[in-house]
Amino acid sequence: MWDNRCKIAVSGVGFSQATRSAETPLAAHALQAVKAAVEDSGLAMPDIDGLATYPELPATGHTTVDGISIVSVNCMMAMLKLPNLTWHIQTGSVNIGGAVQQATNALLAGVCKYAVVWRAMHNPRGTYQNLPGAQATGPLQFTAPYGFGGPGQFHAVAYARWLERHNQQREKMATLTVTQRKHGLKNPHSYFKVPLTREEYLNSRMIAHPLCLYDCDIPVQGAVAIVLTTAERARDLKPRPAYLAGYGQRLVFEVAGRIPSLSNYMDAGRSSAQLTWQRSGFTPKDVDVAQIYDGFASSVIYGLESYGFCKEGEALDFIQGGRIELDGDLPLNTFGGSLSTGRIHGLWHIIEGVLQASGRAGERQVKDVNVSFVGASAPIVEGTTFIFVKEPY
Amino acid sequence: MSDWSKVTRPIPVPNELSKPFWDAAKQGVLALQRCQSCGHFQQPPYPTCVNCMSIDLKFEPVAGKGAIYAYTIMYHTGDKRFAPAVPYASIIVELDAAPGALLVGNLLEAPYTEAKVGRRVEVVFQPLNDDITLPQFRLARAGGAS
Repeated sequence: MWDNRCKIAVSGVGFSQATRSAETPLAAHALQAVKAAVEDSGLAMPDIDGLATYPELPATGHTTVDGISIVSVNCMMAMLKLPNLTWHIQTGSVNIGGAVQQATNALLAGVCKYAVVWRAMHNPRGTYQNLPGAQATGPLQFTAPYGFGGPGQFHAVAYARWLERHNQQREKMATLTVTQRKHGLKNPHSYFKVPLTREEYLNSRMIAHPLCLYDCDIPVQGAVAIVLTTAERARDLKPRPAYLAGYGQRLVFEVAGRIPSLSNYMDAGRSSAQLTWQRSGFTPKDVDVAQIYDGFASSVIYGLESYGFCKEGEALDFIQGGRIELDGDLPLNTFGGSLSTGRIHGLWHIIEGVLQASGRAGERQVKDVNVSFVGASAPIVEGTTFIFVKEPY
Repeated sequence: MSDWSKVTRPIPVPNELSKPFWDAAKQGVLALQRCQSCGHFQQPPYPTCVNCMSIDLKFEPVAGKGAIYAYTIMYHTGDKRFAPAVPYASIIVELDAAPGALLVGNLLEAPYTEAKVGRRVEVVFQPLNDDITLPQFRLARAGGAS
């Protein structure tokens, strides 16, 4: 087990409003979320001495403007002018989960006391994923000329292979999307406010077969944030903390330009999960509630299978029969997932893992939660995994 | 069948790593980067062998027969250049002679519904302009080898 098991905790969490279009600059959303997280902790802004984020906009073919389409650490520093700042970082290789892990490491190293991690996501005008213009350079020269690289396609190829190799049916995914939306209706921060029916799912238009409209999270403009600190300090703060029992990250490498979704998701997800199980001392059977990244619904399959919740090829059967309901054996994406909150990446999943562990999930609180699991990105892309617990035992 | 006649494709720009691939394609030859130490083929080309870390890499011709490893049918019309071909199949092909090296293509000369994992395909060459010819795929012809 990890020497630092349960030595770091998440305290406050914060949200901005999530809007479909970018009426206000993204920096304002990020600031709103960060302020809310600090306030939720019962701290004042001068207490914050650590900052971390993963700023990238995952859209393609759009210009990057700091404060408008991303919110870098530099931008946040300029806005907050923290008088006691001692540490900051931007991560690249493992998405926002990597920023949370770096903040954890900085707190363990004693180089800061209260770290804020935020994720701000812009929704650019027009098509989200664009092929390049007249010329295809770099890795795109082998994909874009074929009209490959537009919305959903990179994830769709892996899903098609999974379905056909395992003789599975995409219609079974309706259970996941309908159940998540039901959970989302109990989340005041959900973007969608109306139920999704099985019929609506099955009749929805195709984006990139086998991914239909409701398999894709909706791009929004919004931000979320958390405050991390040591377990000792967290106990003196306002909310009940969630203790970090262990974390892991994807260890399988990717070659630039190779079709990422086609690498072995089982190896990638397993590598991150194994670290997490080993460090925390838990197994999948110990998990009371799980958040598994669902930017595309198919990513939940790879998470459930590679993290060890079910066997390879069985995820779409595993989620049936009420198992992922709030009172089921494995309540899943209890905040509604990205499919309900909109595309703000895995910090939302981490926040829900925290809220469930600390008993602060309100109307959607799962009963008797001790062990709360989070897969914060698609295991085949930039996967990280976490376990939060209610008591540091 | 997808209508490709009105589609304007982005033109590949060869670089230091990829130039031999496009030079060969222009001659109607499919050539992939191969490690001279361990024999591993890789696509896209990379500065080192991703299998054994050797830097002794050369492009070698490979037979253009293989199977569909994965595919997607594109319905989204966000890119107006490709909208006339929607719905169209983008396929990922694993060649018999170069396992692990995955090539992207469209499934030409067949309805998009023919795209299925494991379906046999063979390379065809589609000139885009005087400099660039695109390797593409069609269903393997009956009677052909394997």
